Amino acid sequence: MDDASMVGLMGRVTGTVGPGLVGEVIVRVRGGAEHFLAYPASGTDRIERGTVVMVVEYLPPRTVYVQAAYDS
Amino acid sequence: MPMVVGVVAGAAFVAVLVVIGLFKMMWRVAEPNEALIISGSKHRTEGLEEGMGFRIVTGRGTLVLPGVQAVRKLSLDLNETELHVDCVTHQGIPLKVRGVVIFKVGDDFVSIANAGRRFLDQQKLMSERVHNVFAGHLRSIVGGLTVEDMIRDREKLTGQTRAACGTEMEKLGLIVDSLQIHEIEDPTGYIQNLAMPHAAAVQRDARIAQAEANRLATEAEQQSFARMAEATRDSEILQAGYQAERDNAGAKARQAGPLADAAARQEVVVQETRVAELEAKRREQQLQADVRKPADAQAYEKRTLAEAERDARISAAEAKAKETELAAAAEATRVKTAAGAEAEATKARGTAMAAATRATGEAEAAAAQARGLAEAEATKAQGLAEAEAIKARAAALAENQEAVVAQQLAENWPEIVKAGASAFGSVDNMVVLNGADGMAEMLAKALTMGGTGLGLARQLLASMNQNGQAANGTSQLNGLVTPSAQKVPVEQDEG
Repeated sequence: MDDASMVGLMGRVTGTVGPGLVGEVIVRVRGGAEHFLAYPASGTDRIERGTVVMVVEYLPPRTVYVQAAYDS
Repeated sequence: MPMVVGVVAGAAFVAVLVVIGLFKMMWRVAEPNEALIISGSKHRTEGLEEGMGFRIVTGRGTLVLPGVQAVRKLSLDLNETELHVDCVTHQGIPLKVRGVVIFKVGDDFVSIANAGRRFLDQQKLMSERVHNVFAGHLRSIVGGLTVEDMIRDREKLTGQTRAACGTEMEKLGLIVDSLQIHEIEDPTGYIQNLAMPHAAAVQRDARIAQAEANRLATEAEQQSFARMAEATRDSEILQAGYQAERDNAGAKARQAGPLADAAARQEVVVQETRVAELEAKRREQQLQADVRKPADAQAYEKRTLAEAERDARISAAEAKAKETELAAAAEATRVKTAAGAEAEATKARGTAMAAATRATGEAEAAAAQARGLAEAEATKAQGLAEAEAIKARAAALAENQEAVVAQQLAENWPEIVKAGASAFGSVDNMVVLNGADGMAEMLAKALTMGGTGLGLARQLLASMNQNGQAANGTSQLNGLVTPSAQKVPVEQDEG
């Protein structure tokens, strides 16, 4: 398991991600589902709960940068 | 030789056992909830940079050289920490918050390495450390929130929690699964007051709803009672009706017996009456036959006989009447004829006699006149004389009554003696014991009795003299009879 494996995984927002907020996403990883602190990859996005996101950056140990997986 | 083989085999067996034992000692397996941290030798470390000096094994077995390498286990289990924190909210309201933090060691090797470095020997104290960390953080969290937010905005609470603790816990290699606030003690009553308007409104609404519900329930209940009363009334009416019918039927049934008895008795009486009537009729018939018919027959007989007799007598009487009539007629005719003749004769005779009588009468009248005159003169003279005599006698009587009476006794002595002797008239045989002297004595006694009667006679005479009949008595005494006028019968023809 390497760090690069986190990038590109899909996850779901469980705490609103946005500028000035510490969001939370839950991601399937290592055979389970773990939650990570999430920040928007592009600075001004606000991602509501329930949105499917994709991890674009992983900062160990528990921080990811995400962006919405589908343009809505 | 076999012994060598046995020893060799035993040695081999022991060797195998030793090998297995060694392998057992060297081979360590990580449980699913733990991570093996192996240090002591240079190993290729998976997922970690060089220089960390230990390797992390999770979920699988690994060879460990005893004495060369040290193996420690780090639990990946869930831990929880009770929080009792005095906080002040964003509004400056003091609160006592009780909550629980649920956390664990992160599953990635970085987190495990961080946590291993920090807590490997203090796993029991992990909760205390976390409590300390979270106490401060919770104060900051609550200080950034209002009471309303804490109560109502859980998203904000968790967001604040992540913002305040996320990075802190990242440093410790821990992840916070949950922060829950169990209880907020509110010494100032803020929450209670906060809830009060709503509670009052809710209470009001509840009371209104309750009152409405009570009203509706009461209405429904009263309607139900009214229906029940109605139903009861209807039922009672029906029951009363049925009861009345039952009573009626019962009374009829009870009266049926007496009625039937009465009817039967009536029938009996009717029959008895009929029997009595028949009996009476029979008796009447019998009487008719026994008594009346014979009586009738007898009466008829008698009547018939009487009628016959009467008819016979009538016939006889009629015949006799006829006969008498005829005889009378004949007699009448005869008498008439005779009477006619007699009348003629009588007429003639009468005429003649009348003439004679007239002549005679005239003559007699003249004679009678003459005689009468003469007699009248004589009578007058005689009367005068008698009157003188009576006067003298009366004087004499007055003078010597005894003498007169004696005279009269003497005159009537024969009758007196006869009357005295009549006492012996009815004696058939008289025995005289004294002989002739006795006889004379008896007669003397009888005559004495007559002498005794002399007194009586004297009294009688005295009474008679005092009466008006003295003249009559006088004339009788005198023996003179007054001459009565003589009538000359003149035969006159009546017819």
